[in-house]
Amino acid sequence: MQIPVAEGLFAVNGAGVQLIGTRCCSCDTLYFPQTPGCRNPLCRDKQLEQVLLPDRGTLYSYTVQRYQPPALFAMDAWSPYALGLVDLGHGLRVMGMLDDVPLDKIAIGMALKLSLRTLTTDENGQSRVTYAFVPDTTKDHA
Amino acid sequence: MTKPVHVLGAGAHPWGKWPNRSQLQLAIDALAMAIDDAGLSWPEIQGLVAASSRFEGGMGWGLHANEVVQAVAEQGIPCVNVGGACAAGAIAFQTAYSMIASGQCDVVAVLGAERMPKGFIPRPPGSQDDITDSDYLRWVAMGATNPAYWAIEANRRKHDFGTTDATLAQASVLMRRNAAGNRLARFRNPTTIDEVLASPMVSDPLHLLEICPVSDGAAALILGSEQYVQRSGKRPVHVAGCAIATGQFGDPGRRIPTISSTVRDDVSHTSEVTTAVQRALAMAGMGPNDIDILEMADNTAWHLLAWPELFGFYEAGQGDWMLNNGKLDIGGDLAVNPSGGFLSFGEATTAQAVLQVCELTWQLRGEAQGHQVPDARVGMSAVLGLGANGGSVILKT
Repeated sequence: MQIPVAEGLFAVNGAGVQLIGTRCCSCDTLYFPQTPGCRNPLCRDKQLEQVLLPDRGTLYSYTVQRYQPPALFAMDAWSPYALGLVDLGHGLRVMGMLDDVPLDKIAIGMALKLSLRTLTTDENGQSRVTYAFVPDTTKDHA
Repeated sequence: MTKPVHVLGAGAHPWGKWPNRSQLQLAIDALAMAIDDAGLSWPEIQGLVAASSRFEGGMGWGLHANEVVQAVAEQGIPCVNVGGACAAGAIAFQTAYSMIASGQCDVVAVLGAERMPKGFIPRPPGSQDDITDSDYLRWVAMGATNPAYWAIEANRRKHDFGTTDATLAQASVLMRRNAAGNRLARFRNPTTIDEVLASPMVSDPLHLLEICPVSDGAAALILGSEQYVQRSGKRPVHVAGCAIATGQFGDPGRRIPTISSTVRDDVSHTSEVTTAVQRALAMAGMGPNDIDILEMADNTAWHLLAWPELFGFYEAGQGDWMLNNGKLDIGGDLAVNPSGGFLSFGEATTAQAVLQVCELTWQLRGEAQGHQVPDARVGMSAVLGLGANGGSVILKT
């Protein structure tokens, strides 16, 4: 049994993992996570719809979290991990954990796709999962 | 028609960790020094504007100014308490400025005082544990600490401009060198590039000595109208410009605590601060070339490289050369943080922007003992706060 870290943040379906965002139909702007309003001051109608965001992107920048964050971030067998800022296109850049790539092999511009990462698993086998980005092996590096 | 406003007095309690002194006591001390510096006394103070903190004091409602007057001078003056997180001091300054420029008051005090909690800054009570709260998501979904946000910017700079780890470290070296002569700074031991790079890696590429810690501290200013400018007998310091601003839609900056950016072309990075700076320059009728000193929020070494570029002091990517060739030193083309900056003080959030203007005041008077910028005539401050708050003040002699 997998429990997401937050409801409404991402969806797991036949197509894989996708982030749930908001699109303003009036000015064609994407937001993540879902937003109650369009922040574009020049947009007048601000008609919003829930959308599943692109599940592939390129790494804009990253860091490695070298010390343990506060307890609100729960992770079994904690060790340093990478955080990326991923360009999903359409002007949207999303932060998330980077997975399945050695910390010294991360490169700005690398192709990434969305995945799930298990953060904790309890004695009943119930796990808490978050979204993460992993190398997109179907695509060569930029 | 607004009236000219002047800085009459400045005072600050040394930065550090002061477990045995309350936030209120730090505030009272700083205010007493500023009032004395202005050659005034409490009955002449016609208003008090305080930066509100959520950490201590203020009767739990951010009523820090009220708390001070109830402790030392109950005299019926207006007390204004302003929020703005780490930029609250700049918003307090702007508010006091307006009270005098409008002609409503002749002498108004500005205050920022803070004792910071240990460790991570806790989420405020009453926050929602769901997707409506970015400060929840950034923890539960990815454990993104504040340094991680700044590190992502720093790594992108390395990619874009070839900034080296040694250059980032050099920014910390400069701040410590400046602080060595400043009795108010907390960290006054000079350091070296090797020592900075040997300090623990926090968030690649930022090491411990390249990130500002938190401190306790308090600073106060007395602003006044023309008729008070000669009272202290000190060199007059004038407010040439001051402005506050919030962020622009499409800003590419990695804004804490959000987990995404909606980026639009041609929107400035850290637009809340660059907008405030541009407004302050326009108000002063000045350009970047007119500024001798920049006191800016250096939460990390990266900020010292990036911010002056964002403000238009020089081209993007040129900061490395400026830093490595001594152009940002005391005595260089643009003295950046002669005080030693946040890296040497530690951040006492709401007090920080007030301290910046105190520093500029002392510099322009020629009173910055041990870290004086030669022939300083014009100084600018720049600060950023949670909620996309930016503020900037320009002083001139």
